[in-house]
Amino acid sequence: MTNKKVVKTTCRMCGTLCGIDAHIENNKVVHIEGNKDNILNKGRLCIKGSSAVTWLNHPDRIYKPLKKNDQGEFEEIELEQAMDEIAEKLMELQKKYAPNAIGVWKGEGIDFAQQEELARRWIHSVGSPNYFSNDTQCFASRYLSFNLVYGCWPQADYENSKMIINWGTNAPVSHSYWMQQINEGREKGATLVVIDTRYTDIARQADIYIQIKPGTDAALAWGIMREMIRRDEIDHEFIDNFTVGFEQLKAYAEQFTFEKVYEITGVQGKDITRIVDAIAKARPSVSSWAGTGLEHQTNGVNSIRAVTMIDALSGSVDRKGGMKTPKGLGMRGLTIYDEKPLLELKPVGADRYPVLYERRQECHTLMLMDQIISEKPYPIKGLVMTAANPVLTNANSNKVEEALSKLDLLVVKDLFITETGKMADYILPAASYLEREEIFSNSAKQAAFITGKYIDNGLQTEYELFKGLADRMGSGEYFQWKNDHEVNEWLLEPTGYTVADLKTNPSGFIFGEYEYEKHRVKASNGEKPFNTPSGKVELFSQYLVEKGIKGLDGIPEYHDPSYMETKNTEYPFLLITGARVQKYFHGRYRNIPQLYKSDPHGYLEMHPEDAKELGVNNNDRIKISSRVGSLETYARVMHEKEIMRGVVQHTHGYAKENINRLTYDDVTDPISGFPALKSVQIKIEKID
Amino acid sequence: MKIITMDTTKCVGCRNCELACAYMNSNTSCERTYSKIRVNHYIDEQTLIPLTCLHCEEAWCLNVCPAAAISRDENTGAVIIDSDKCAGCKMCILACPYGNIQFDEKDLVSTKCNLCEGNPRCVGHCVGAALNYEDVESFNERARKKVDRKIMDAIKHQCKSMEVENDK
Amino acid sequence: MIKYKEGEKVRLVIIGNSAAGLSAAKTIRKYDQKSEITIISKEEGLAYSRVLLPYVLREKVDYNNIFIKDKAYYEENAITYIEDEVVALDTLEKLITVNKGQAIRYDKLLIATGSHAVTPPIEGLNGSGIYHMWTKNDLDDLLPLFNQKKSVAIIGSGFVSLQAAWAAKCRGLEVSIIEIADRVMPNVLDKKGSEVMANHIVDSGLSLYTSMITEKVERQEDSSFKLHLKNRQPLVVDFVIVGAGVKSNISFIQNSNIVYDRAILVNEKMETNIKDVYAAGDVAAGPTVFGDKHMTHALWPTAVEMGEIAGANMIGKQRRYQGSLNMNVTQMYGVTVASMGIFDDEQIDGSYEFPMDQYKGYIKLCYKNSLIVGACIIGESESVKLLGKLRPIIKKGLRIDCDPEKIESYIDIQAFQNRY
Repeated sequence: MTNKKVVKTTCRMCGTLCGIDAHIENNKVVHIEGNKDNILNKGRLCIKGSSAVTWLNHPDRIYKPLKKNDQGEFEEIELEQAMDEIAEKLMELQKKYAPNAIGVWKGEGIDFAQQEELARRWIHSVGSPNYFSNDTQCFASRYLSFNLVYGCWPQADYENSKMIINWGTNAPVSHSYWMQQINEGREKGATLVVIDTRYTDIARQADIYIQIKPGTDAALAWGIMREMIRRDEIDHEFIDNFTVGFEQLKAYAEQFTFEKVYEITGVQGKDITRIVDAIAKARPSVSSWAGTGLEHQTNGVNSIRAVTMIDALSGSVDRKGGMKTPKGLGMRGLTIYDEKPLLELKPVGADRYPVLYERRQECHTLMLMDQIISEKPYPIKGLVMTAANPVLTNANSNKVEEALSKLDLLVVKDLFITETGKMADYILPAASYLEREEIFSNSAKQAAFITGKYIDNGLQTEYELFKGLADRMGSGEYFQWKNDHEVNEWLLEPTGYTVADLKTNPSGFIFGEYEYEKHRVKASNGEKPFNTPSGKVELFSQYLVEKGIKGLDGIPEYHDPSYMETKNTEYPFLLITGARVQKYFHGRYRNIPQLYKSDPHGYLEMHPEDAKELGVNNNDRIKISSRVGSLETYARVMHEKEIMRGVVQHTHGYAKENINRLTYDDVTDPISGFPALKSVQIKIEKID
Repeated sequence: MKIITMDTTKCVGCRNCELACAYMNSNTSCERTYSKIRVNHYIDEQTLIPLTCLHCEEAWCLNVCPAAAISRDENTGAVIIDSDKCAGCKMCILACPYGNIQFDEKDLVSTKCNLCEGNPRCVGHCVGAALNYEDVESFNERARKKVDRKIMDAIKHQCKSMEVENDK
Repeated sequence: MIKYKEGEKVRLVIIGNSAAGLSAAKTIRKYDQKSEITIISKEEGLAYSRVLLPYVLREKVDYNNIFIKDKAYYEENAITYIEDEVVALDTLEKLITVNKGQAIRYDKLLIATGSHAVTPPIEGLNGSGIYHMWTKNDLDDLLPLFNQKKSVAIIGSGFVSLQAAWAAKCRGLEVSIIEIADRVMPNVLDKKGSEVMANHIVDSGLSLYTSMITEKVERQEDSSFKLHLKNRQPLVVDFVIVGAGVKSNISFIQNSNIVYDRAILVNEKMETNIKDVYAAGDVAAGPTVFGDKHMTHALWPTAVEMGEIAGANMIGKQRRYQGSLNMNVTQMYGVTVASMGIFDDEQIDGSYEFPMDQYKGYIKLCYKNSLIVGACIIGESESVKLLGKLRPIIKKGLRIDCDPEKIESYIDIQAFQNRY
């Protein structure tokens, strides 16, 4: 008899977390579509979400642990043996070198909140502070920026916004359901402004589209702020009562005249006027949101800080249609930083990027590669990675490969043998998102979502991995729960809810309606209105100044992006990377045949005039090189409106056209340590 | 009867609809050639038009098909092509004023949107909510509301300026 | 709508059981469940689609697929079906005389008897071994020959002739096409299109003779045929298919007062000069979109449209025909061939030919008085969509205000803006 069920759960094909109806027959998923009741995506799903059926049932999925033999071939072994050997080798390395000679690396591919915290918990429990993640190339920089200003991770209130400004972010591709929310706001009359070097999908519906030179967004933001102040289109009451540093901001803004902004950004004064006209009409319901486009520059944090200060000046913070500053669910944390900070063991990068470490406890993945190779200041010899594929996704892939090959032990846990997995000593099969129980939360909606073990392939969950290693390595006391369900119940305890409560609404368990103007209530109760050092929105950050590091400015000053500082005739084109396509998620899903057929290789997007000068036609083979590496790829000649002259874009994650062979790992933002993935100087040669 | 409505003010041309439709129809590939919905992007005009069969009440393709291969599905109201009956004469392609019938070069038959038996994949994959599967009335209702809102906004704005005038 | 007296039934009689007749019946039943519908057909068996016959010859379509209505259809729609030949018509008494059965009375009559293929006056071009490609009987005759014989000559190079030739080629026969005019498909393509098409035909391995007069056809002892061609060696083939045009089936109205020329003249409501007598399809000459009052386009789509108009008017709905717009489309010789409207070089005053790579083939837009009046295509299936989009433009005589190469985008945007 066929056992059929339809479960409402959360898609994990990317980090957007849409609601899905997964149709499961006999322990196998047969169909996935959007969950119409889900409060976020309302039944709509991108192609990755539904294609998960093919991915999860893929014949190449691994179900048995693999161990590399002396000939460099993988052999299947039993899980217990693999775990025993891995634990033993990790202990050996710690004994031979030092406790911090091992690290853990969480990727974006499998799990989310709990995975991250379990990894952090485990590595500290076994005495090393070296937790790494993909977040140091995506997200953490924005997190720091917003956090420095608001003391939280805010969310744009798109549905209620009267003016949406999107900087370097392309919602339909990167946060699909945001596009519904943006459209809902637009349907109610919101003006949409899109600022991007590329004429992206969302730009096509913009009321105002601004094509800007890469890395100059902050200069434009400053120009806008100067004009807002000059025309007195700012919220004095909010600024006076709930911000610090306005006078410094005002003084710094002075210099950003139309002429200067034009010179830096290529954006004309009349466009600034149009934007400020719209702000004047829309405030205090403006949501100015920055995406990954801004992060990957040496001035990323300052740019994002400046951009979101438009929200603050217009008084749109914690107000309807502006920037929400949501409350969390209030779950317990799994990390043990209080108990075992291990700072004396020098977490990689904590010295050089103290803000990143203090605020996110992220070690630095790029410095990790150097450290593995140089063994300075101390050797790192063993890494456990879950669902990460840095060979494709980290800057300077050649160095990544060199570093990873030097490790004594590399363990990769994933659903497939990835490019990084091929380099591993052990590959552990991972349980998919339909095979684990996990809690997700959505801060904008103040809602929680629970998933479950709807399919059982007998695969090890993330919890079982870390518990298994901890048990074997003598830190089992930190992993007393039987399984992930018990972990979740423990996490939820202080909230007063249980897993069963969350299950009552798998389409979105709302734990509290968002309350606007909380900052006023808090202020009147004598509490800090915002969770910053000053308790206010920080237009000026004393915290950064006190670090005493060059580039850590009190006011988010504009600094030219790195490519402007070093003009380069050998590498005349400016490469920006990291723009996503809807079929893939970073390095993942090229193994889904239907998607691969529709998008089989990487390509370099270029302006038609540039192509003409190079004598390159659409789909021609070209060789591109930067000072760190080169590769062969295909040309994609765009419409002249779609990309700026002299600027080219290449999406990452293609194994054959791995653009990270060209990206720098040594040009970074001084605050976040993010690599300047959108500031790579290259040359282009036609292959005949 | 429900049809797929298209709101050109919401389409961003992400083409998830095409990818999903192509896979639904081919079961092997998301390549555009298999898709029965096409998003046409007119960049100079800043216009995006997602086009798929409108399942016209007076379906000229259905009337004109010399093989009687086109009929209306009783449950969904979809105008559907029976590929076993289709001779591949392309009369329907010539008959469709919107260019919404495709030709399958492998099987040499005409193909078109069949509303996925009432669960159109394009709509389920339209992340911007530009496509909806709904009664035409609901679509018109929304369009009306939008116009009303615009008028309201305009009035509000006028009132605002008048207030300022009065303040003087 | 027809107003019925209590218990009265109006007798609607349709002569002809193909595109026009069936379209009329369908339209009648869409609005009117009460009136009696009788269809009289001369041809034996179920209604079939003439358009599909070449596809069966080519083995692209199963023989059984040519039947477009089954027996149940008539019962479900309360249509009385009579298989008989109409021999005379008395419009005063409203009485139809048939060959075998009893005379049939009608209140309203639709003549939709179609057309038959004609044979040019060439000596010896008759008798067995000489075929047409117009009816199911023709198909039945030809099918075994396509299996047994090795060579065929096609006299004429119209749309159907070329399809028959292509079918023969696909089935492995040696094919010769003999056209008296100086180019192929003169009624479907412009001059350049004809050249392009001729190249495709020759490239496909057929022998093509244009400006060629067949003087005599001689039956040989081994039952093959020797075609005597003017100024050329005779051609010996196993059998011959003649495609020299068609004529309306109007012999039974000779003694009635219905006005006809080559076909029955009808107005935009498909009415003949006689009250309550309508005509539609190949048998009728009605209005075209270009303002012709009486013209016969012996085409399936036109027949469907005319039948629809006739049916509606027979039950009192006031429907007027916008006029026929001739259109043809098929795939043969590895290309899609289609045309629409006016494309004859003599009749147009301007044209635009798309660059070959834009639609991957030959496409020409034809203009008259700055309006698009027609188009020809020899290329890929995708380009047929363009013709589909142009159809309403040509029909309504809309002015297009853009560069020709962007016309498809222009129409899309316009169409959408008008709709929403």
